[in-house]
Amino acid sequence: MSARQASSASQTPHLSPAELSYIYTSLSLPNTPIRPDGRSSTQFRPLTAETDILPGTNGSARIGFADGTQAIVGVKAEVEKTVVAADALDLRSISRQAQGESLARESSEEKESGGAGEDGTATGQGSWVQMSIEIPGFRDDDALPVFLAEMMREPLVGSVSGGSGKGEDGEMAGGLKGRLVINRRWHWRLYIDVLLLSQPLSYPLPLLSLTTHLALLSTKLPKLKSQGEEDPFFDDDWAAAEYLYPRTRTTINTPKPPSQNVRPPITLLILSAGENIIFDPSREEIAVADSVLAVSITRDSESDGLKLLSIRTVDPPSRLTQPGVANSDNVAPLGSTGAAEEASLQHPSVGGEEEMAGVWRPRRGGVKRGVIARIVKMVLKKGGVGEEVLEGLEGVEVG
Amino acid sequence: MKSLRRDFSSNPQAANVSSKIFVRSTKSGKVQKIVRELYLRQDIPCSSKLCSTCPSVAPADANGNIAPFVLSDKPAGTAAFPQGHYLVPDTNALLNGMDLFEHTGAFYDVIILQTVLEELKNQSLPLYNRLLSLIKTDEKRFYLFFNEFRLETHVRRGPEESINDRNDRAVRTVAKWYSEHLRVAAKRKKEKALPVIVMITDDKGSLQKAKQEDVTALSLADYVSGLEDSDRLLDMINEAREARDTKDARGQLFYPEYYSMSKLMTGLRAGTLHQGVFSVSPYNYLEGSVNVTAFDKPLLILGRDNSNRAIAGDVVVIEVLPKDQWKSPSTKIVDEEAVTRNDNPDTEDTEPVVTDRERKALQEEARKAHGKNSEGQPQPTARVVGVIKRNWRQYVGHVDSGSTGVQASSGRRQQNVFVLPMDKKVPKIRVRTRQAGDLLGQRILVTIDAWDRDSRYPTGHFIRSLGELETKGAETEALLLEYDVQYKPFPKVVLDCLPPQGHDWKVPASKEDIGWKGRRDLRDLLICSIDPPGCQDIDDALHARPLPNGNFEVGVHIADVSHFVKPNNAMDLEASLRGTTVYLVDKRIDMLPHLLGTDLCSLKPYVERYAFSVLWEMTPNAEVVSADFTKSVIRSREAFSYEQAQLRIDDKSQNDELTQSMRTLLHMSKILRQKRMDAGALNLASPEVRIETDNDEVGDPLTDVKTKAMLETNSLVEEFMLHANITVAAKIYSAFSQTALLRRHATPPPQNFEELINQLAKKRNMELDVSSSRALADSLDRCVDAKNPFFNTLVRILATRCMTSAEYFSAGAHAESEFRHYGLASPIYTHFTSPIRRYADLMVHRQLASAIGYEGEDGRATLEGITTRNRLEDICRNINYRHRNGQFAGRASIEYYVGQALKARGEKLAADGIDTGIDEEGYVMRVFENGVVVFVPRFGIEGVVRLEDFVLPGESAVRSVEDRRELAIRRETEFDREEYTLQVSEKGHPEKERGVTIELFQKVQVNVSSIKEEGRGAGKRRVRILVTGAGK
Repeated sequence: MSARQASSASQTPHLSPAELSYIYTSLSLPNTPIRPDGRSSTQFRPLTAETDILPGTNGSARIGFADGTQAIVGVKAEVEKTVVAADALDLRSISRQAQGESLARESSEEKESGGAGEDGTATGQGSWVQMSIEIPGFRDDDALPVFLAEMMREPLVGSVSGGSGKGEDGEMAGGLKGRLVINRRWHWRLYIDVLLLSQPLSYPLPLLSLTTHLALLSTKLPKLKSQGEEDPFFDDDWAAAEYLYPRTRTTINTPKPPSQNVRPPITLLILSAGENIIFDPSREEIAVADSVLAVSITRDSESDGLKLLSIRTVDPPSRLTQPGVANSDNVAPLGSTGAAEEASLQHPSVGGEEEMAGVWRPRRGGVKRGVIARIVKMVLKKGGVGEEVLEGLEGVEVG
Repeated sequence: MKSLRRDFSSNPQAANVSSKIFVRSTKSGKVQKIVRELYLRQDIPCSSKLCSTCPSVAPADANGNIAPFVLSDKPAGTAAFPQGHYLVPDTNALLNGMDLFEHTGAFYDVIILQTVLEELKNQSLPLYNRLLSLIKTDEKRFYLFFNEFRLETHVRRGPEESINDRNDRAVRTVAKWYSEHLRVAAKRKKEKALPVIVMITDDKGSLQKAKQEDVTALSLADYVSGLEDSDRLLDMINEAREARDTKDARGQLFYPEYYSMSKLMTGLRAGTLHQGVFSVSPYNYLEGSVNVTAFDKPLLILGRDNSNRAIAGDVVVIEVLPKDQWKSPSTKIVDEEAVTRNDNPDTEDTEPVVTDRERKALQEEARKAHGKNSEGQPQPTARVVGVIKRNWRQYVGHVDSGSTGVQASSGRRQQNVFVLPMDKKVPKIRVRTRQAGDLLGQRILVTIDAWDRDSRYPTGHFIRSLGELETKGAETEALLLEYDVQYKPFPKVVLDCLPPQGHDWKVPASKEDIGWKGRRDLRDLLICSIDPPGCQDIDDALHARPLPNGNFEVGVHIADVSHFVKPNNAMDLEASLRGTTVYLVDKRIDMLPHLLGTDLCSLKPYVERYAFSVLWEMTPNAEVVSADFTKSVIRSREAFSYEQAQLRIDDKSQNDELTQSMRTLLHMSKILRQKRMDAGALNLASPEVRIETDNDEVGDPLTDVKTKAMLETNSLVEEFMLHANITVAAKIYSAFSQTALLRRHATPPPQNFEELINQLAKKRNMELDVSSSRALADSLDRCVDAKNPFFNTLVRILATRCMTSAEYFSAGAHAESEFRHYGLASPIYTHFTSPIRRYADLMVHRQLASAIGYEGEDGRATLEGITTRNRLEDICRNINYRHRNGQFAGRASIEYYVGQALKARGEKLAADGIDTGIDEEGYVMRVFENGVVVFVPRFGIEGVVRLEDFVLPGESAVRSVEDRRELAIRRETEFDREEYTLQVSEKGHPEKERGVTIELFQKVQVNVSSIKEEGRGAGKRRVRILVTGAGK
């Protein structure tokens, strides 16, 4: 258990050093990596996806990979009073009401003051989004679920908020948390419940992230009927509810207006082996990776392009694997492996530094800058992997 | 990347499951998405007697019975559908024409869809309830079809489809399904003979689509036009909607817009807006007030634009106006009829909402008074910014003859008329009608449909005519309708609950009989009843007898109604709805069927009757030693009237046991009364007269009008009943600390008396101490004017009006300290002694039976007393309302009778020569700037005396209408707000002497007569009071 917890990237598959070495060698073949399942380096595993599977939620999705891993995500939204010292504003608006000024004037004034004061209360807080992840066999306070949840929540909350405060459409600014603002005194709180239905056969981050993305895409909030600083009051027709991430009902080919383009972030798992960059790695592939990166991207409102939110390195399990022993080093080819181990332990530097074909060496060291740069480029470029994934998810019929 | 979606098309079960999704906002501010799954079925019957398949599949109840089929196999036909037809109305058709659907002349065999019912519930709760009761009655053959649950008629909402469109489609789907279903399933195979399914909708789009889909559909108006008597029926269609369509373009908006619901809610929560019930001053239709919890005194609402389309009774949200707009309450009598007499109902002219005349009327009262006393100080005013709940009902009124225009009688042209409601607090209602000519001079029932911003008056529609003005039938019905008294005969289900033996029912002879179980045999006791003369429903009887130890046993025996009215059967429900028996001058509207009220329950003399007895052991000083409660069997020895009983007691020669016991009772009642008075009970007065109609017809009907005489025997009965009520109240409260049904009279807040205290201090130098009921009772006793014996009564009447009214409540609703009955100075009180005519007493009977462990015939009586608090509070609300209305109706009936008696007298005198009215004494109750309110004790009426009705010295009392109108202009007044005096004189008259000064509490000579309100044709009659002299 402790080993599993220490290794943040799922269980180490039970592969022999020779197998590890074989896989690594095929993955790192210059330019044309050969993956165990025959995919190309940017190809994702086929998946089935559907949305709105849980009628009681505001939005939900299920994604299943062909290897049998499945996740469902439900999003629930609740109206909540904003506690932040909004009292001063509160009183002002109320006293204004008492003077019997017209509603129109009031709201226009508010817009002005909102524009001037900016962001103190209008953007909302990260704590309005709560995410919980359940993975079979893990307690909810185990490292993996907690780490995963935080890894997915962070880009979600922070998405778009960074530089786009001055977006042409005020409502679009502020990322998800800005979107949850109803008015100065009220906001939505989102509960995102992620449930992995199967054993975590591979590192579950991509699956969970894609499912969450899809669930958020399908999330609708009741249509607001009240205006300005009034207590919120909603349309009781669910069909009138509005998407949290507004979308246009266009066919896939026509370009969408930018404001409709904001999308929840996705986090992709990418590994490097030698000079190769491989997307959506399977468990076996992770086991031999030089490095594993979790890259979060999103689609921004301003530009049509994608935006990088974060890159995290994930500790690959390859570091913990047993090294293979070269025949030349084998003291007792027929007998005690114990001696061999001892030897390698006594002289680790010798074994680690010499790269010998066919002999597995656990990976050491960090990621090369050049690799990261290439990864980012592959993800973000027009027609790149990121776009492909987002479009693929968009293609899932929502509703 | 590639993704796949699961496919449901191959799942055969998928079609049977559907769901309904909506958003629910809870009171706590939560917003929830609610999903209701629907499992569609195919066994919901069409309920047509023509159908041969549905009876075999319809679901049966636990006993294997299926609900009887509703729709007739031979439905009525019309000119267009001679083979008969079933109607399928959509929601709008019901909203616009509910009165039509209730009409007994047409609209039979109607299929009400669940979709429509639910939509109606969301739009109008009162209409929904009316529709429910229509569905419940058998006669009209309304069938509630659960179309949403039936597979074939369930309609899934399409993408982009609005709820309305979807519901319209549902209605069309049902209409279509019904015709196809009947074609297949009808026993008669001849298609020509099958009834047509007629969809009724006012939605143009839906009509068009129906045409395309081959569904027979008509608009409500088109359908009604094809019926007999269509002119009258067409008038019953709600006009509001139609009018709204045509008026869109005309942008003249008279009233400010209401705030949005969310803004109202925000304001209410923040405390910047207030919610309360809008009420209108009976003297000034432009002055309203709203009592809100945040302030001690009601907030004033002055003028039409501030009251912003609120009608008396509406629950409104108000906003306090800035201080510079605060005003003092009006000191002027303003009558809508007088001010707006010349408005034309057809033209919504460009005049502002507050017409110049209204503005003038307001202006004068708005003059800020700089007085020193509280009355003159400006008070907070407010304006209506929203309406939470409309409490519009049906109003009785008559057509304003001035508004019908010249071509009133010419043809069937539709025209606008004004209907003046009987209730002065309700503004006139604009009604479109085709029968204006016929309606003149009729009492009619109308309803308000809407009051839009662009209309100065509310619009409504005609429902039915009650008959000619001033005919007995029409006026009585008008009264009952106006006070919401249920006067329809008892339905059959209620009568079915009566004992089958009818009038032959008897107390079982054998004591072994189950009826005797738990009953004490009190037939030996010398019990008698004392009631008003001619009383048939005898609720109570009494007895007293000496005990060997020198004490007395005193018993109060109350009719055991709860034996006959079992909880929750049809009769009980009807009684709880009626709440009380209503006594009109010439009519009694019973709470319970005649058989029970006047025979089986009534404690008639010489026969054995079931009773519920309260027995006390009392010392000769009327100290209670012990109290006992029991169900019993009694035999009353005699039924006395108050007068007879008094005579018997006073007759020294009578010394039989019965008379002796009555003397004991009388003696004790005096002690009890004294004790009560010492405790601070109030001796209140209400201006009541009694009408004894059993006199012969030829005599002067006015002699029937009698002020209530108080005999000692009246107070004898009263004291013991009070005592029984108090004893029972304590008992049931000890048994049911949460659900005991009690009655309380809240201590009135001292500010209610402020004005009266002021007036007394100013005019009579008297003091009124309102610190406690005892203090008030004492100070009322001191308010005596040696020269004016009636003065004390007058003060009592005025003091009574300052108090709140007593109310029923369940014990859990208030803290024990709040149980107090202020007027009776009793810490706890309830009603136990009149179960025949009050539902509260019946409930208390059940609770008491349960409290003493009486098991009843079936052993279930112990359970009967127990009701949940919620249910009890509903009952309390209803009986409080019914009780109040019943009293109002009774008073109004007397008032009407007095008016009619005066009229009859006038007509008789007119035949001889001239109607001179009757000279009487009157007392000034209130002084306004342009008139006074005078109370005439002889007839128990009060009336407004306007300027023209003052007869100045040297003038003749008899004048024509024209004279009076002219006079009103010439009159000059001087009003002293602080001294409560009004000086009336004639403008420019040389003799300064020729004027009268009237002051508050003054005794005046008045001339009472009944006159026709002329000039406005229709001849509404009112009692006119002329002040002829300031007699001292």
